[in-house]
Amino acid sequence: MRIFKVIMLFVIIPGLALGAISCQTLKSLTGPKATLVIAPAEVFLSPALFKKPVTFKGSGFQPKEMISVEMVLPSGLKMKGIKEGEDVGIAFATANEKGNFTAAMAPTATLNWFFQVGWTPLLRPNFKAAKPIPPGVYKINATGLDSDRVATSTLKIVPPPKKK
Amino acid sequence: MRKKCLIFLSIVLTICLSMVGFSSSSFAKEKSVVYLSLADYTGPIAGLNVPADKGTEDYIKDINAKGGVDGVKIKFIGIDTRYDVARAVSAYKRYRRTPKLLVVNSIGTGIARAVGRLLARDKRVQLTPGDGEFQAHLGSTFIWGPAYQDAFAASMDWVMDDWKSKGKSGAPVVGYLNWDNAYGREHLRGGKQYAEKLGIKMLPPEFFPPGTLKHDVYLTRLAKAGANYIHAGGIDPTPTNVIRDAYALGLTKKIQFTTGYWGPTALGLSVHAKALEGIVNYSFFLRGEDTKMNKTVTDLWKKYRGSLDKLNGVYGMGIAWGMTYVGALKIALNSVGYEKLKGVDMYKAYQGITGFERAGIQGPCAYASDSRRGSREIKIYRVKGGKIVPITGWQKTPDAVSLHKF
Repeated sequence: MRIFKVIMLFVIIPGLALGAISCQTLKSLTGPKATLVIAPAEVFLSPALFKKPVTFKGSGFQPKEMISVEMVLPSGLKMKGIKEGEDVGIAFATANEKGNFTAAMAPTATLNWFFQVGWTPLLRPNFKAAKPIPPGVYKINATGLDSDRVATSTLKIVPPPKKK
Repeated sequence: MRKKCLIFLSIVLTICLSMVGFSSSSFAKEKSVVYLSLADYTGPIAGLNVPADKGTEDYIKDINAKGGVDGVKIKFIGIDTRYDVARAVSAYKRYRRTPKLLVVNSIGTGIARAVGRLLARDKRVQLTPGDGEFQAHLGSTFIWGPAYQDAFAASMDWVMDDWKSKGKSGAPVVGYLNWDNAYGREHLRGGKQYAEKLGIKMLPPEFFPPGTLKHDVYLTRLAKAGANYIHAGGIDPTPTNVIRDAYALGLTKKIQFTTGYWGPTALGLSVHAKALEGIVNYSFFLRGEDTKMNKTVTDLWKKYRGSLDKLNGVYGMGIAWGMTYVGALKIALNSVGYEKLKGVDMYKAYQGITGFERAGIQGPCAYASDSRRGSREIKIYRVKGGKIVPITGWQKTPDAVSLHKF
């Protein structure tokens, strides 16, 4: 009986304390499962992305919450303005009453994070200084900024087709 | 057996407590608070933001070197958003739970509108350029100086005075040329009504996309419509380039050009001094020769950046941001102390800092419970002999925000 009290004091109470600290993580596990669909799921870098940008559709979020769509950068990939270990925000949206959202990459996001252009003093993108993101499969997360719900998908960037 | 069990449990408890200790700031030795800048260091307006944030960072460094604010050190976190709203939202998400993050400076109106919603919910102060909407709808967003439309209205007062000083009767015709975006239109949301109240005839405004190479079409249209004055908007180098084109067309001889907060700096002057000669610029912070005369600005620049050759007036504006933060922090610490200090206390402090002086870099602080304006005054400058020199003292700006229905 006494040993049970000791276990209570030394294990269960600290366990609860730790549990409370990580309640934010638990919060994200409750509620409906959030989903993310990327269209198209496979792209190559071309000016067509400005007319028809990569689009994200999600569901299962809290109504009216803001959603941040981020690309997880693989280790070793350097990106202008981004510190190592940071994800880069590529789109954002607000969920509707049903917790669904649609977001498209703005031209500045496509220029900054896909093409990694420089900028001229005339505020024009400088493609000569561009370092396009290498082909690969990139993990994309959509996070609800109130609920902490996260939906994950992938975007495949392929090399441009060879000119005939 | 029982002894072994107790030893094992003690080890488990120690590990648990250490984990809690490491993850909690309350065990941290140094008292500190955080200022987050959602900036642009490598994107389209880096030329403006880099020197401004240098000013804030240097000022904070100096305060910390002197022991901080009542022993509380300030941590400056600068994030390069490349002027991208999605990146700014994501960056704020990353730093949102930073203990004692009190103020966020958002470099653009688009960023401020998106991140501002989150900041309002988190009860934190946001600082942003000059959108009058934040004055019209009072919230936790504070603008750096007078609203864009207030300053534009004050420039219209100057236009009227200048017109009369030339012995001309009636009122002049004014053209307006700016970027085709929310910022470009903001000046007219109340500013246009103010000009018209003065009797000024405002020509239909000309808007063009940022990055436009030549502005001849817009300038020619305004000139043909009879403009006596033209306001050249945008963020430098845009105004410099607009005036360069006007000079090439011979328009600067007969039309007086004016520019706003983000008009030509030493950089534009070094390239197009001849074209810019005689143009007028209005500003809520010291510029040109005034900047070089301000000891606070020059001392700090020399201490952290060296020679004054590359000193930019925008650096002083950044110092003023830092001074306001420090001034409000003092009020908040006095009010609740360090342990209880939260964003909401800084929000109250920013409203209680009315009249705060910032070494003359800009007018007295006008933040109050009913004001989100960083100051009410502007100064008017003219390019003379390749230098930006003041032609007026500080002048109070009219309330043009109230003339527009937001």
